[in-house]
Amino acid sequence: MTSDSIHFDEILSKYRSDPYDYVDMFAVHAGEVRFLVEDGAEVQGVSGEWHHKPGSPLYEITRERNPKVITSKTNGTIASLNKEVEGKFVEAGTKLLTIRHPLKKKEIIEAILQEVLYLFPAPERARYYFSMDIQSRIDQKGARSIVIQPGDEIITMSLMKRDTPVYYDGEAGILHSLYFSPGDSVDQGVPLIGVCPEEKLAVIQKIITRVKAEWE
Amino acid sequence: MLSHAALCRLAAEKAQDANFSPEVTRRILRYGAPVGSSCRHYPRLPRCMDLLRREVRDTTTPSPATGQVVRADRLTGSSGRFDRYWHAPAGGLYLALLWADTLLPDFSRLLPFAAGIACCETVREFISAARLQWVNDVRIGGKKICGILSETVAGAEGEQFHLIGIGINANIREFPVELAPVATSFYLETGAKVDLDQLCALLLARLQWNIGLLYYSEEQFLAGTAGEESMLLRRWRQLSDTLGRSVTYGYDVQTRPLYQARALEIDTGGGLVMRLADGSMITEYSGEIIYNRND
Repeated sequence: MTSDSIHFDEILSKYRSDPYDYVDMFAVHAGEVRFLVEDGAEVQGVSGEWHHKPGSPLYEITRERNPKVITSKTNGTIASLNKEVEGKFVEAGTKLLTIRHPLKKKEIIEAILQEVLYLFPAPERARYYFSMDIQSRIDQKGARSIVIQPGDEIITMSLMKRDTPVYYDGEAGILHSLYFSPGDSVDQGVPLIGVCPEEKLAVIQKIITRVKAEWE
Repeated sequence: MLSHAALCRLAAEKAQDANFSPEVTRRILRYGAPVGSSCRHYPRLPRCMDLLRREVRDTTTPSPATGQVVRADRLTGSSGRFDRYWHAPAGGLYLALLWADTLLPDFSRLLPFAAGIACCETVREFISAARLQWVNDVRIGGKKICGILSETVAGAEGEQFHLIGIGINANIREFPVELAPVATSFYLETGAKVDLDQLCALLLARLQWNIGLLYYSEEQFLAGTAGEESMLLRRWRQLSDTLGRSVTYGYDVQTRPLYQARALEIDTGGGLVMRLADGSMITEYSGEIIYNRND
């Protein structure tokens, strides 16, 4: 067995024993916190055709008499709640709670892939589309035929009718996973693309095949 | 074409309408003063923005000067967003402005608003019916009289620049059949020709003021003395007829309309707050709208 496949087995067994994602929620800014959920409560993520309906309210944070309700981005159950800070003033970034999100097969494949691929994140919350050259090559031959290099203009970010070219700054490789459709609104920091170094392509294909075949 | 000093005097003259104290007016004008610091005028170009973009990316020349303007009497390769056709024969005003990215991100995102307000104010000097449609389309009776393109370009050393391309349908007597229902011009609205040099000077003066206002807002924000409402967006509200309208929204609304909604408000980041048919709310920070005819 290769070292790649040993690594893969470890990753796969981790997801078999605990097929959940644990989403930590931190105070978005300093302020007084009041929880709106109990330990173990079920919460829902954003919904609606345009992802515009907010998820379950999680906590309210008040600063200078300006209360703000923070809602869940994902579905799951409240796995832990930092009750010590209930009603108290916390600094920005204080961990408040954790949501245990049950992973679907597709999410597990993506989660495993994201440990192997180089993920290129959205620089700002905006709408994104591929540069004309990349889009035309995707249309003609598919994304996985495209090799990108650091410095390549790959994506255009559109914010307030201002278009900004986005240059790739990761390691060279194949455009393996596309996490947005042209024109989608993507939050800052969320991956836009996953890039696979050519030498890792075989092991990645093996990951997808095995998870698809073995996962119930 | 006016000298830069004369342009600054014109901007100061127009600033009298804005009701700021003399000290604040001076500060705003000082921030916007680089607009039009140099202006190159060509009989024709493929696109003004292309020329400036090439210069920004040119590794053999020093960092280009902020505020410089390239103007052409006609464009031979003009296009709008999504490669839409933009009719740019002789008789229109076509220019591009280069601006170094020295604003905080929350303020630089409002540059397209500043450009839209400047264009709308310029058109309204002649035609008071001109209104802004979110984000920055200038329209008269639903027909477009001015188009604005904005993009950011990285220079050879990684320095970021904004490129603002503006086309105003000034003395255009007729449009191609496909554009005639949706485009208009000064000539078609008033029956008279406008002096293009004068129009250009007015536009640059208004750009000086509104870009300066954006910098002044940033200064107030950093000093902790900014009010809740952006001065620039307050002006946008005064000039716009978007709020309250039934609209169709889409990233590329002409080819891929996504949904219909009622435009309610513009938030502090320039986002358009809308109510969908089921009563839920949505805020968009990019894309475009068209007004629904049944409204």
